[in-house]
Amino acid sequence: MTLQDNFENHSKQYIFCDDEFLSKEREKIFIKINSNNFEKKNNESLKNLPFSDLNSFNYFFHVLDDKPKSIIKEKNVYQVDIVNGRSENYEDENIKIRNIFSKDFDKKKYVKDNKDNDIVMDFNKIFLNSGFFLTVKAEAQIKIHLNHNTKKNFTIFQQNFFNFQKNSKVKIEENFNLTENTINNIKSDFKADEYSSIEHNIFQKFTSSNKLFLTSNATCQKNSSFKQFSFNFSDGFVRNFHYAKLNGVFAKAVLKGCFFLKDNNACSNKTFVSHNAENCESNQTYKGILNDISKANYFSNTFVAENAQKTEGYQLSKGILLTDTCAFFSKPELRIFADDVKCSHGSTIGPVDESALYYLRSRGIDKKQAMKMIIASFIEDELENLDEDNINKINNNLSNYLNSV
Amino acid sequence: MIFLNINNLNVTIDGKQILRDFNLNINLGEVHAIMGPNGSGKSTLANVLAGNEDYEVKSGKIIFKDQNLFDLNIEERAQLGIFLAFQYPVEIPGVNITPFLQASLNSRLKNQNKEEVDNLDFAKILRSKAQELGINSEMLKRSINTGFSGGEKKRYEILQMSILNPEFAIFDETDSGLDVDALRIVTEGINKFKTNNNSFLIITHYQKLLDYIKPDFVHVMRDGSIVKSGDISLASEIEESGYKNF
Ligand SMILES: Nc1ncnc2c1ncn2[C@@H]1O[C@H](COP(=O)(O)OP(=O)(O)O)[C@@H](O)[C@H]1O
Ligand SMILES: [Mg+2]
Repeated sequence: MTLQDNFENHSKQYIFCDDEFLSKEREKIFIKINSNNFEKKNNESLKNLPFSDLNSFNYFFHVLDDKPKSIIKEKNVYQVDIVNGRSENYEDENIKIRNIFSKDFDKKKYVKDNKDNDIVMDFNKIFLNSGFFLTVKAEAQIKIHLNHNTKKNFTIFQQNFFNFQKNSKVKIEENFNLTENTINNIKSDFKADEYSSIEHNIFQKFTSSNKLFLTSNATCQKNSSFKQFSFNFSDGFVRNFHYAKLNGVFAKAVLKGCFFLKDNNACSNKTFVSHNAENCESNQTYKGILNDISKANYFSNTFVAENAQKTEGYQLSKGILLTDTCAFFSKPELRIFADDVKCSHGSTIGPVDESALYYLRSRGIDKKQAMKMIIASFIEDELENLDEDNINKINNNLSNYLNSV
Repeated sequence: MIFLNINNLNVTIDGKQILRDFNLNINLGEVHAIMGPNGSGKSTLANVLAGNEDYEVKSGKIIFKDQNLFDLNIEERAQLGIFLAFQYPVEIPGVNITPFLQASLNSRLKNQNKEEVDNLDFAKILRSKAQELGINSEMLKRSINTGFSGGEKKRYEILQMSILNPEFAIFDETDSGLDVDALRIVTEGINKFKTNNNSFLIITHYQKLLDYIKPDFVHVMRDGSIVKSGDISLASEIEESGYKNF
């Protein structure tokens, strides 16, 4: 289907179809893309993007009778299922979840909100069809298993809003169960109130006919901490674009990711941390293993505002290239307007260390196992703070990945 | 059984010939030493024996325990009982010593149709062998060679050897970078390990090491081949007047 067909198809399902102002805005963005009249030069959102797929997909969405569920698995552990973009409304003393309505949106912010001409966010705005609010109440200490279940052929364009109230302590395990031929364009906002602490582990693994465009924006208040880890074992395209704003003093953001690519798969990664207050810390680290003719990119950015003294910002990208036909493009950027800051960035991308491989093999360890040891050591630091379930899951996936090497 | 026989070996790297018609025979239970100036091809020989794939074997043959060595890859050779104590052991950050060495030992035991050791038993073996070599247990928690001093690296090579129990051990300048005390500990470790059922090839510059580990044969190597063979007196000759007479 052409973009025009999709646009018309979707009009009735547009969350803001009753809002003239936003409908106009939607049309404006559509015209911009349809007439191919958007910023292309230096547009990081276009890198490695399957743009033709994005532009000529078959829009498909409807609300199923099959009701999603939110359940308590055990005390303070929740399972929230998002089925085809929709969740079940639920509330208890710890959390509140509900699907979004058009009146939930701050129009001005919605219109303005597109960083860096992000083409994926443009599509998200044109085809928006779902989203939810999830509030974790003050003082709550909980774990949430957040499962996205997208059925065959569904195209999900979603905006979610998480609010972590004061002093809450939350661990989110986000999983994607994508069946076949789905598009998932999901943007999530995370508001971390004072003294809240969030650990967000994202696990991406699905077959090659599915696509995931995941964008997140974290806003951190005083003494809050937002730590995100994404693990991408997918055969399908994944885009991870994650942003954090440190707006209160002593806030901390960690945006980390590991990806494992093979065949002709690609992934696009970007992180951006803005330091807008004193004494904040950030760490942006992405590591990738690439095989065959796979391709990846990683843009990382640290911005330090004039008033953000005593900032500590750290950026790192590391890659192991298993063939000479794969490619990993990495571009770190630093813009610093304060003078009392500690910032650094590093990048090492290259083939597996042959001398290390030789050493291990010379002690009787077979080549595959030696590769596994070296690659496991490569992501070891990232696993440090994960719980056992996650470590096992990652190790299993790593084994599967290496079996195909 | 032919233990080790190297016959007319010619080896190049990047098109440059390094070993030329190299011949050497080692029987089970023997200790051989190779001495030679820098660049004569000693490390090349050691690495070709270990199976390093960077070198190109142009012609020649190596038989080890009646098997054609060129049919075996690096790990298969190690499992069969070849051990190379490296001249420059590489640092591998993030790969912990203990599980690595346990996996090594088990690969070797498996090859010998012996029962593999579990974590607990292995920890015991490792601790007692480490103690013998004056390696403190703190070091065993670290990553392979990472942040080790030169002496610690060499000691750790010997520890690996004593655990893997190879039949043929090659020491590539294990003495370099060791002070007198460290040299004594390392050579004691090597001597303790020596039996009638294993053989050594000791590569060194200096007679000093050979004072501690008595070789049965000493060979002088120049420009990729052995130019003279003899007994320990050859080492004293070199110590006195260098390699110019060879
Ligand atoms: N990887 C390599 N690439 C190119 N030349 C090499 C390489 N390794 C060794 N050589 C060369 O081979 C020769 C023999 O080296 P080596 O075996 O290390 O000698 P030794 O151990 O006796 O000092 C030297 O001239 C050295 O420069
Ligand atoms: Mg050498």
